[in-house]
Amino acid sequence: MGEGQGRPLKLTGEGLIQDGERETTEISKPSGIPTKRVYEPQDGVLAEEYERRLGRPGEFPFTRGVKKSMYRGKLWTMRQYAGYGSAEQTNKRFRYLLSAGQTGLSVAFDLPTQIGYDASHPMSNGEVGKVGVSVSSLLDMEALFHEIPLDEVSTSMTINAPAAILLAMYLVVAEKQTVPWDKVAGTVQNDILKEYVARGTYIFPPEPSMRLTVDVMEFCRRHVPRWNTISISGYHMREAGATAVQELAFTLADAIAYVRAAQKRGLEVDEFAPRLSFFFNAHNDFFEEIAKFRAARRMWAHIMRDQFGAKDERSMQLRFHTQTAGSTLTAAQPENNVVRVTMQALSAVLGGTQSLHTNAFDEALALPTEESARTALRTQQIIAYETHVADTVDPLAGSYYLESLTDSLEREASRYLAEIDAMGGAVAAISSGYMQREIHRAAYEAQRRIDAQEQVVVGVNRFAAVSEAPSHNLLQVDPNLQASCTKRLSDLRRNRDEAVVNECLSSLRAAANGTDNLMPSIIAAVRAYATIGEMCDALRDVFGEYHPSVF
Amino acid sequence: MAIRVLIAKPGLDGHDRGALVIAQGLRDAGMEVIYTGIRQTPKQIVAAAIQEDVACIGLSSLSGAHMNSFLEVARLLREQNAENILLIGGGVIPDEDVATLKGAGVSEVFLPGSTIASIAKYIEENVKTRDLSFDIGGCTVKGVHHVGVLVNNIDDILPFYLQTLVFHVVADEQLTEHGVRSVILAANDSLVELIEPIHSASSAAKQLASRGPGVHHIAYEVEDLEACLARLTQLGMRLVDSAPRVGAQGHLVAFVHPKSTGGALTELVQTKRGETDAR
Repeated sequence: MGEGQGRPLKLTGEGLIQDGERETTEISKPSGIPTKRVYEPQDGVLAEEYERRLGRPGEFPFTRGVKKSMYRGKLWTMRQYAGYGSAEQTNKRFRYLLSAGQTGLSVAFDLPTQIGYDASHPMSNGEVGKVGVSVSSLLDMEALFHEIPLDEVSTSMTINAPAAILLAMYLVVAEKQTVPWDKVAGTVQNDILKEYVARGTYIFPPEPSMRLTVDVMEFCRRHVPRWNTISISGYHMREAGATAVQELAFTLADAIAYVRAAQKRGLEVDEFAPRLSFFFNAHNDFFEEIAKFRAARRMWAHIMRDQFGAKDERSMQLRFHTQTAGSTLTAAQPENNVVRVTMQALSAVLGGTQSLHTNAFDEALALPTEESARTALRTQQIIAYETHVADTVDPLAGSYYLESLTDSLEREASRYLAEIDAMGGAVAAISSGYMQREIHRAAYEAQRRIDAQEQVVVGVNRFAAVSEAPSHNLLQVDPNLQASCTKRLSDLRRNRDEAVVNECLSSLRAAANGTDNLMPSIIAAVRAYATIGEMCDALRDVFGEYHPSVF
Repeated sequence: MAIRVLIAKPGLDGHDRGALVIAQGLRDAGMEVIYTGIRQTPKQIVAAAIQEDVACIGLSSLSGAHMNSFLEVARLLREQNAENILLIGGGVIPDEDVATLKGAGVSEVFLPGSTIASIAKYIEENVKTRDLSFDIGGCTVKGVHHVGVLVNNIDDILPFYLQTLVFHVVADEQLTEHGVRSVILAANDSLVELIEPIHSASSAAKQLASRGPGVHHIAYEVEDLEACLARLTQLGMRLVDSAPRVGAQGHLVAFVHPKSTGGALTELVQTKRGETDAR
């Protein structure tokens, strides 16, 4: 406050929208969907179209939501993605979040874990514990869930290439807590296709990777019935620059590829499809995002019923997790990000999400601190408990604009789906670099629009502060963590029965060479305290590694 | 000539939206950009930069591993005597790390919110163009190659160069055709040639007798000596050598007469292929 005192105030009007400017100019959006000045009844859903296009909540095509009572019955799960440093540190953060009213856990693993390297591997240098918790063996997993009852919480794990291994570790921890597997609930992301497109934590080539994905589906159907075996993710493609239409289309294209792969394994659609879940981004364009979630539900219901002949309604219900858009957060004036996150979270709630992660305001600078993580969680709680937006199901249904937008998104995304289908499906479209190129083009266009100030980023290219506030406290990860993890690994290797480990690893290799489901051999190796690096190396021996072309 | 830039993703981080957008943006700004793809080690990045002869490396990291990987790239550049490559970085990097990075060989760090134009401008203004070439009508002159100094006795003056100025000897030859002993001395990028007449009939001996020791000639490195001589002839300049001869270190040389150069004997050198960088 004191800084500006005594200085004459000048009103330049710089950056402000001029009178009438938005009346005449075309509003152009990255998705390419035009916006009219006003929407009227004929743009929306007519009364006689209601059942066909929207359906009642909980009824086909589920445009209004997958549950009859939605948030009247149960609020969305507030599931903050967390994890950093050692298993012990993250366990502490988890217990803090649970005590603060969070209702589910979501584990962030560090990059070595996600790419199947032990913390001691040279490729892990500088990365141990950085973007998530470091887990090299069952020992770490035990510490991670120490005193957290696995029959009472549901746990989502952002893990893809080695999803089968981390799931196996989780199941063995449950076993040690004497929790039966049919009481265990949660999700593994297990969506390898989008890793090739956007996120980059692949290990093996597509074909064996898809086999591992389906192995998890098949195994859980029989032994872990409450487990969501895949979270088909548009989130990371959106973060990489995809438009709302691309996010919607590419996610559904990937989903179709997984359904086909599971069918090829001989699974019946209604056996596995109820456990498929989705993961979307909540970005800045408020109404477009709400329309995206609604369009996704309607499209998936039709795809499953009409294309795959699903009979079970649960197979047609698109259930999804949402995270607010990290890429919209700014490093300048970071407190503005609280407002962005609030609007994005509200769009997810109005779009009927099943669970939600709200980003912390300091994520363009570093991993969240305990304080910023708390504000992020509080944001959801304020939406849930103070605003009354969750009191009625799908409150925006029937809005002329929103229904028109929902139709437009469906139409544009269907166009992409047809194109990808003509290419031979998602795997082919990814192998040829098609999805990557489309996303890259959109990302470059977005940056160009921001640089040219055609797209406003408050505090960055408009209303930028002259002097920046000093930076906030940021989270520091212990730089000696890799050394202590390395020591823990060498202690482990001294104390475990090496003969059993080696035997388990050879059986895993043998199983990988065959066609049997790999889960039982992975679980056996986990029980013997084989490390993630050792198990992934065994699979690397058989499957080889994926090396992308640069598109 | 287009500035060559290597955009690299060190470590295990797979978030390459920023790297890809910057690569494309710098290309559109007229630069030649090579993108390494994700999961590169610092060693691979430095090797690629040297191999591709880039003027700038841009590192991108969003996983928090920058203090490790960026500093290691800077260290390897120093170790390989490649510090003339401009090193910049970007990503999710806290302020206090920016300061440390900038003190340790990373010239600039671009945080989220930076425009492509600002990054392109920074690169243009800060790359060290090792190639100071200018064009004199179809013939490229790369800059000053060495200065020649005429002395009575090379061995007498060597201690000054080797001990006081810390040059080192690159070549020590008898150039019988020119009638001189030539010693080439180097310190960093600077070369000095010491010339001592070895028989009294040489022009160097005559000059020593008439004017005494001192600066003898200035030599420019040219890309194509024959083309240069043709161009100078066309401009009506007087040449001592109308065709290239073999000079010190086996390079092709020719002299331009002082009458045409304001009194300074001028040598043109076309180095043997591939030896420019090793000098």
